[in-house]
Amino acid sequence: MLRVEDLHKSFDDFKAVNGAHLTVESGQLVAVIGPNGAGKTTLFNLITGQLQPGRGRILLNDEDISKLPPHVICRKGIARSFQIANVFPRLSVFRNVQVSVLSQQKLSNKLFRPASQIAIEETGRILESVGLVDKKMDLAGSLSHGDKRILEIAIALGNEPELLILDEPTAGMSPDETATTMALIQRLAADQGLTILFCEHDMEVVFGTAQSIMVMQQGGTIVQGDPQTVRHNTEVQEAYLGDE
Amino acid sequence: MFGEMIRQKSFGVSLAVFLVLLLAPSFLPRFYIYLLAVIFVTALLAMSLNLCVGHGMLFQFHHGVFYGVGAYTAGLLLAKTSIPWWMAFVAGPLAAAFAGLLIGLFCIRLNKLYFGMLQISLGSLIWAIAFRWYGLTGGDDGIHGIPIPDFIASTTGSYYFVLIVLGICLFLMYLILKSPFGSTLQAIRDNPERCAAVGIHVRHHQLKTIVIATFFGGVAGVLFVVVEGSIFPDLLFWVLSLEIFIMCLLGGWFTFAGPILGAAIIVSLRTFVGTYTEYWTLILGVILILLIFFLPEGIMGYNYRQLFRSRTKYAHDSQME
Amino acid sequence: MEGGQTITLAALSITLLVGLSRAMILFIVTSGLSFVLGVLRVPNVAHGSLYMIGAFAAYSISALFGSGSVGFWLALIFSPLVVALISLIAERSLFCHLYEREHLMLLLFTFALMLILGDLTKIVWGADYRSIMPPSLLQGFVTIFDSPFPKYNLFLLIIGPLVAIGLWLFSTKTKMGKIARAAAVDMEMVGAIGINVSWVFAFAFVLGCLLAGLGGALVSPTISVTLGMDHDIIIEAFLIVTIGGLGNMWGALVGSLIFGITQSFGVLLWPQFAIVFPYLAVVIILTLKPTGLLKSVW
Repeated sequence: MLRVEDLHKSFDDFKAVNGAHLTVESGQLVAVIGPNGAGKTTLFNLITGQLQPGRGRILLNDEDISKLPPHVICRKGIARSFQIANVFPRLSVFRNVQVSVLSQQKLSNKLFRPASQIAIEETGRILESVGLVDKKMDLAGSLSHGDKRILEIAIALGNEPELLILDEPTAGMSPDETATTMALIQRLAADQGLTILFCEHDMEVVFGTAQSIMVMQQGGTIVQGDPQTVRHNTEVQEAYLGDE
Repeated sequence: MFGEMIRQKSFGVSLAVFLVLLLAPSFLPRFYIYLLAVIFVTALLAMSLNLCVGHGMLFQFHHGVFYGVGAYTAGLLLAKTSIPWWMAFVAGPLAAAFAGLLIGLFCIRLNKLYFGMLQISLGSLIWAIAFRWYGLTGGDDGIHGIPIPDFIASTTGSYYFVLIVLGICLFLMYLILKSPFGSTLQAIRDNPERCAAVGIHVRHHQLKTIVIATFFGGVAGVLFVVVEGSIFPDLLFWVLSLEIFIMCLLGGWFTFAGPILGAAIIVSLRTFVGTYTEYWTLILGVILILLIFFLPEGIMGYNYRQLFRSRTKYAHDSQME
Repeated sequence: MEGGQTITLAALSITLLVGLSRAMILFIVTSGLSFVLGVLRVPNVAHGSLYMIGAFAAYSISALFGSGSVGFWLALIFSPLVVALISLIAERSLFCHLYEREHLMLLLFTFALMLILGDLTKIVWGADYRSIMPPSLLQGFVTIFDSPFPKYNLFLLIIGPLVAIGLWLFSTKTKMGKIARAAAVDMEMVGAIGINVSWVFAFAFVLGCLLAGLGGALVSPTISVTLGMDHDIIIEAFLIVTIGGLGNMWGALVGSLIFGITQSFGVLLWPQFAIVFPYLAVVIILTLKPTGLLKSVW
């Protein structure tokens, strides 16, 4: 479904992404791992259009999306969550999710019908599926960190994506919250047939859930494969797992 | 939706205030009727600005241009042509919205603060033209004695006209802010990057907001002509724009009705202070500094936080957040 | 509109030179604005007010010393210092407490400062026009292409590049200049290596304002010094830094040249609406390159 070919991105002299390759098949749960500064978030930003690549291609269902802006890429079926909790702090949880639902239904520009009566069911359904229904009237800015990350995912779900990209979905979470969140992600993938691409630090999380793992170092791809292959790859062990 | 509206406390209060205002000309001296009318016009102007600033976080620092364009268009048409008055009244906001679109197209490509910077400069061109084109606009004298239709020319007549137009515009703005358009706008205010990631074309949405806001600004300009019967370049001068901005801040820029309160306070202050000193600008600057340091969310913003301190967890969808 | 036949080579050359000398003033002023923009990331709306105070202070200092040549030179030296002092007071007493707040609050503060300084100027100097005589050395005209060209403008044409070179040397060769440039690119890093960020901001702000004051002092013999100078110059300065590239000192130079020259030719071709010409240039440039001609500093 998604293919990244030899992607490069530099900021002045700093090569943030230096020859990255990635393949994501439909229906898979794919993880990207790598130490801090390896370029994971930059890679994600390139895929979803926040950044433009210097060289290389990004293909979504064989269509080159390398140079498209974020809102166009979103319409093509990719939704994402961000590493730093990126919600709408002054709006309620309900309205946070409703924004993306409205956008998906192309209703963002309706001027004279009250928003409180539109897209209620869909928004409610998403809130239920992530378990935030009882907090739906809370101000997003007042949520706990863990809940904000879940709200992140809920907002992304509002776009009815085919491919859901999650940037460090469990960052800053306690072990309990991490387990719950990963279980949620796996359930969503199964229930809604989503393809999920995420990046993570936590090795246990990754090896327990992902079907395909891509390892990054210094902006480039070392290897991509199923967990067993990756675990036994010598380069990976040296570069990354050796320190564990 | 109307049921929901009527059940809120604020609706009852607003209705009561509206009734009092309707009856005001029967018990207030003429000067105060005039002053109220000026407050209404300014309130509409401030509300229109706040669509951009408080609800959209667009730094519209020269909103006065559109007020002036609306006033000048209507005023010039009334004074120099024989177009029916209602056409002139409609032409004003349309011209203002058009100017808003043009200037917006340039400014929208810059981010945040620089948007405002460029708008000040581009808007000042319009001021400079109005100031120098003596033949058309009367230069820095402006034009006085503009013919206003009789039924709204008197103090009381203009008062009621302005009050009714203000009421209609406020109602429309309320609907717009409650609609998906308004919801999306507030989301863009909070996090434009996130909005792009959920498929919203942020710049387009912001441009539409600017056009709507400048349209209402133009309406305020027309109302100014009705109340004062004249036009002059000060309307287009950017210190006025700054004053309106301060009104929004003072009243509470994240609330719905904050700008109205801000307008009332500033206009009243300006009128009464003006009898004692000519250094109103200095006082305005000091007010702004006090706001920045002590009351950055304005009076109504502060009230909300005080009243709902224990309940800030809950969003008040019934009030504008 | 002048007829085609009366625009001679001489007239064009003089117009160009006048435009260039005006551009020098614009550059000195906008380089200060650009510097503050680059380091603090905030457009200082009060920059024009400080320019105006520079001009008024130059008048007062010059008058204090007899309004003659000596007075002028002393005014040129001390007026920018007075302005720098005022800006330092404003910065240390109020502005610096806002550095941790959002940029909007910093910008609003500069708005308030503009309002206050504007009226303070009115209180101190009143609403009348002032004028200053250039020193006897610089009075009168030289002849270029058989046309008179004010000696004072020639002086400006020399001072401008000197200031530009001085600024360039400062920002590339001195420690303070390099820190300021680093801070413009990455403020957190500068703080992380132990440099007091607040003082860097203070320094940048004061230097920027000093340049504004210098511009005001330099311009004072060529125009009537009046209230409203602050508004006029800040509008032009905003346009110039926008077309030049935000925060970019060389951008300020390029922008000033474009602005000064188009304005000068505007006066030649359509005196009543000369103002339209630089705006036209701005509109064209921004349509083609919305973020300015040169790279923005960040």
